[in-house]
Amino acid sequence: MTPLLVLPPVPWPEIHLAPAQLVVLAPAAACLLGLWWGRGQRRVAATLAVLGTLVALGASAWQVVQVLTDHAETPTGTVGPLPVGGLDLPLTLLSDHLSALVAVAVAVVGLAVQGFSTWYLAEDPHYPQFAAGVSLFLAAMLLVVQTGDLVLLLVGWELMGWCSWLLIGLDSRRAAARRAAYKAFLVTRIGDLAFVIGLVILAVGAGTTSIPDVVRHWAHQPGTQQGALLTAAMVCLLSGIAGKSAQFPFQDWLPDAMEGPTPASALIHAATMVAAGTYVLARLFPILVQSGPARLLLAVVAGVTMVGSAVLAFGQTDLKRMLAWSTVSQVAIMLAALAVVPAPMGPDTGIVHFVSHAMFKALLFLGVGWLSVLVGGTTAAALSGGVRHFRELRSPLGVGLLALTGVPPFVGFVSKELVVGASEHGITAGTAGAWLVLVALFLTIPLTAAYCMRAWMVLAFRTQEERAVDQEVSRESHRPQEVDLTEMFDTRTFTPDPEEQAIAERQIDTPAWLSVSVLKWLTVVGGLVVLTPFVTVDWHVDVWLVGCSLLLMAGAAFGVRALSPVSLDGDAMRHAGDRVRSAFDEGWAADRAYLALVARPVLALARWVVAVDRDVIDAWVRGSAAATRVAGAFGEAAHRRRPSANLVWVLVGVLGVAALGVRLW
Amino acid sequence: MILLALTLAVPAVAGTALVLGDRAPVAARPLTSHLVALVASVVTLGLTVWDVVQRPVVDAPWVPAIGLRWHFAVDGISAPLLLLTAALGVAVVAHARHHLPSGGTPGTFYGCLLLVELGALGTFLTRDAVLFFIAFETVLIPMWVLINRFGDQRSATARSDAAGRFLLYTVLGSTLMLIGILALVNAAGTADLDRLAASGGAGMSSTTQAVVAAILLVGLAIKVPLWPVHTWLPPAHTIAPTAGSVLLAAVLLKMGTYGIVRLVAAPLPDGLGVLAPYLGGAAVIGILWGGLACLVERDLKRLVAYSSVAHMGFVVLGIASGTDTGLQAALFANIAHGVVSALLFFVVGGLKERWGSADLEIARAALRETAPRTGLALVIGFAATLGLPGLVTFWGEWLSVYAAWSPAPDRPVGAFHAFAAVAVVGTALAAGYALRVLRLVWAGDRLEPAVADLAGVERWVVAVLVAAVVALGVWPKALLDSTAPEVATITHGAHPSTVVVGSEGGGAR
Repeated sequence: MTPLLVLPPVPWPEIHLAPAQLVVLAPAAACLLGLWWGRGQRRVAATLAVLGTLVALGASAWQVVQVLTDHAETPTGTVGPLPVGGLDLPLTLLSDHLSALVAVAVAVVGLAVQGFSTWYLAEDPHYPQFAAGVSLFLAAMLLVVQTGDLVLLLVGWELMGWCSWLLIGLDSRRAAARRAAYKAFLVTRIGDLAFVIGLVILAVGAGTTSIPDVVRHWAHQPGTQQGALLTAAMVCLLSGIAGKSAQFPFQDWLPDAMEGPTPASALIHAATMVAAGTYVLARLFPILVQSGPARLLLAVVAGVTMVGSAVLAFGQTDLKRMLAWSTVSQVAIMLAALAVVPAPMGPDTGIVHFVSHAMFKALLFLGVGWLSVLVGGTTAAALSGGVRHFRELRSPLGVGLLALTGVPPFVGFVSKELVVGASEHGITAGTAGAWLVLVALFLTIPLTAAYCMRAWMVLAFRTQEERAVDQEVSRESHRPQEVDLTEMFDTRTFTPDPEEQAIAERQIDTPAWLSVSVLKWLTVVGGLVVLTPFVTVDWHVDVWLVGCSLLLMAGAAFGVRALSPVSLDGDAMRHAGDRVRSAFDEGWAADRAYLALVARPVLALARWVVAVDRDVIDAWVRGSAAATRVAGAFGEAAHRRRPSANLVWVLVGVLGVAALGVRLW
Repeated sequence: MILLALTLAVPAVAGTALVLGDRAPVAARPLTSHLVALVASVVTLGLTVWDVVQRPVVDAPWVPAIGLRWHFAVDGISAPLLLLTAALGVAVVAHARHHLPSGGTPGTFYGCLLLVELGALGTFLTRDAVLFFIAFETVLIPMWVLINRFGDQRSATARSDAAGRFLLYTVLGSTLMLIGILALVNAAGTADLDRLAASGGAGMSSTTQAVVAAILLVGLAIKVPLWPVHTWLPPAHTIAPTAGSVLLAAVLLKMGTYGIVRLVAAPLPDGLGVLAPYLGGAAVIGILWGGLACLVERDLKRLVAYSSVAHMGFVVLGIASGTDTGLQAALFANIAHGVVSALLFFVVGGLKERWGSADLEIARAALRETAPRTGLALVIGFAATLGLPGLVTFWGEWLSVYAAWSPAPDRPVGAFHAFAAVAVVGTALAAGYALRVLRLVWAGDRLEPAVADLAGVERWVVAVLVAAVVALGVWPKALLDSTAPEVATITHGAHPSTVVVGSEGGGAR
């Protein structure tokens, strides 16, 4: 006798965790658990978030060991394979040198951000949501890092966009944060439209979404038609990458995203969404090099963005926005490396700059966030004299800015000079666009030094209080000459009230301080990453080029240094007029261009659609209803009356005429 | 066998009894009506689960003279739809306990809900084309009653307009469908859907297939609804009570796409092939049209209705592509839209009850600050609407775009490439309107006038739907595995050559 109900075998994923799976699962689980248990309970939320990221870091370290020992690139499964007819959809994860290195970098930055934000957002009512959002963001990025499947790549990619919406708009009570979040998501989504098509073209051609198979299929396509298709696919992918990486013409969402809390900016800029495009292109590098036009386009976009955003960075009133523009510029450098590096060298030059940028940019954001808590703002005026006042911040911010400039021996120097070397090799190898990138780099390097120096002069400038005291001294002094001498030579720091300062500095707690310190030391010694077996880079960099770039840096920096002290708050941009400064702050009116070229036409079209829907399409429906009603009323009216005798005669007459006609014909 | 018959008998008997009971000299108390309906819907759900697991078949002669049979069975395509219908049947009845709309007696309301469920279950269970038509028609009158009597109480004219428009429009569609069914049955010589699918249009010329398919498609497109015959949907959704909107979006629209798969895609593959460019074109215009209308729509319920037009466009696009990937995409997107629209209409309907209107231009308290559970449900619902990966909508839409890019060999490739590109643009519009709503309703600094958060049954119903949206988004295999074998037989029977170049044996499975 059969039982009434026989349950079918429940489909369940096999559970034996590989590091690649754990790397993604740990933060994802931390997000879910944090949302569930962390509501209103700050400590629980913080513990879960930090723990999840810690497990991810441990798993990525495990992955490093595994990759180094058995060199296996075995794909591990997730929720696939999906039965969708003719398409092979395995949904697997990969572990190789590339993913191992980047996963560690992402997890380190993630952990620093989680640790820092427990302190930074201590008073924010939305902290549990923020912590869960950061966990999800990390899970999405790590999915992109680990993925061996184009669809999983898209999953992580889009989820990052969503998380950026959540985090940028965290303080949704402010209209500016709401707008910035909306703008960030829409701009990147519009970039992603083509990205989706690009992935589809790649998958359709290969009949599978498995990245190794896709690469194998497309990397050896001699036919011209296939070549054109490949170029189309790569150009489509570049559109999405330009969107997420804030490259021209999608650049303007990123500075606005500074409305989000600073740790979120550190996360988005340093290790996740904005830099993810570099990783994706590195993953697909063997196919990228097959398409010359796509690489040339990438070189042009990266070159234009690199220089333009470095100029914009110099002009920002808000130093956090300056950091945002510097991210745009630095990400362009990574992408440029991928655009020009000769194919046999591989994509690692770009990845080294990715890792390097992750360290120093996270450090800078956390440092500026820390300082902004102490001084209450991120504008140049507010931050003026910050590191003189709070000396603990002197070394993290100083190290960060030196690394961003590319001063030896910091990590930024190593990675940037490698990109310079790569473009030199690109010129030798005859890569189209390599000259352009080299020129752009030699414009960007002094510009970067200039804005870093400007920032440092602002940070190290005497505060208003100090100047007030000096003025006080000069007013009370009987010997003005002495005061002049004091002003010229006395470099003693101003200590407003030792006790008050001690309280302010003690406010930072151990996890947050540890986060900043770890990033600082990584920024100092991170250049050693090129000695590890994870990256293969070409060491042969022209000494003259390095010397040139260092000279340009020094020249630009000293130029700015000369301009700074004469101004009100140490800001070299004070010399520019108000109109120039506001043009810089508005990113040269890109926002207005977005509104005029995209938003308004789309809304006008939408209004037209609604009008047509109502007045044309639905008019037929209403018209047929009305016609039926009229016909019904007519029929009813006709039915009530008796047919009049005249009508009968008319009818007879018509019939008679008709009969006559038939008869005559 | 007997349990399969009971699956239909229980809602039929209980529904009729509830409607008639309120006309008895001693009317039933509201609680009694509720309990009867609840028990009936829960029993129906249990029976449906049993049907889905055991896959019984009922096949008995009904009108032997014309070969009409009582033929019911469950397969992989109908199983998810049956579960969705039965589960939402329980949900709407349970939800109505504390959200009973005025306008008529409780018995009539619950009875009509059960009768709609009956018609939908019948549609998905039947394997006979004529019986399909009968079940299809069963839902019309109870749904008309739900909209006309229990709809938005502020305007009787609007109610009768929306209900009348719904009824007449869909009756027109059904009439065309009946003509199409009769032509199909006449040409193929059988009304058995399985045999129709197996024959795959054998013995019918391409022109005949195209004519019959055109009639059927126009009829079914009204139900889906496909642009440009969609204008009945927004008023119906706006006016209908919450339960009516949920059933309308999550169940009734699915009957249209299910009908296209059963009556057109399977038995008339060549006819569909001829019409596919037009079908796909209408689908992608609908995707853009719905998305654009949502960008400026003021009424939140109407907005969700227009978004339904866009989402159903993805379903139809998948069918039009003619590949098994496309069909899988369509069936997945169909269920996805069912779950998501049910979630959104429960939340949005609840908000309309609390706010007193669904006008987005009126400044209200931010849900994030004042009603966090409602807010979270709304965020997840709209995140699903914009096709966020990890939620259920993503898979259907991505696969649909993929299928449109690589359509069956007899489709015009250039046109379908354009359709894929346009459909992708639709996802950006979806992001635009979804985040617009969240920016207006969810985020903000206003704390007044606050509304009550989700509580009681409503909370559980919404929680289960949110869980389903996430679970199917993370684990799509569950649903795709169910439909895969049937899809392979449909497209394989139809197009022996429908294997995408370079793939490994997908079509030959």
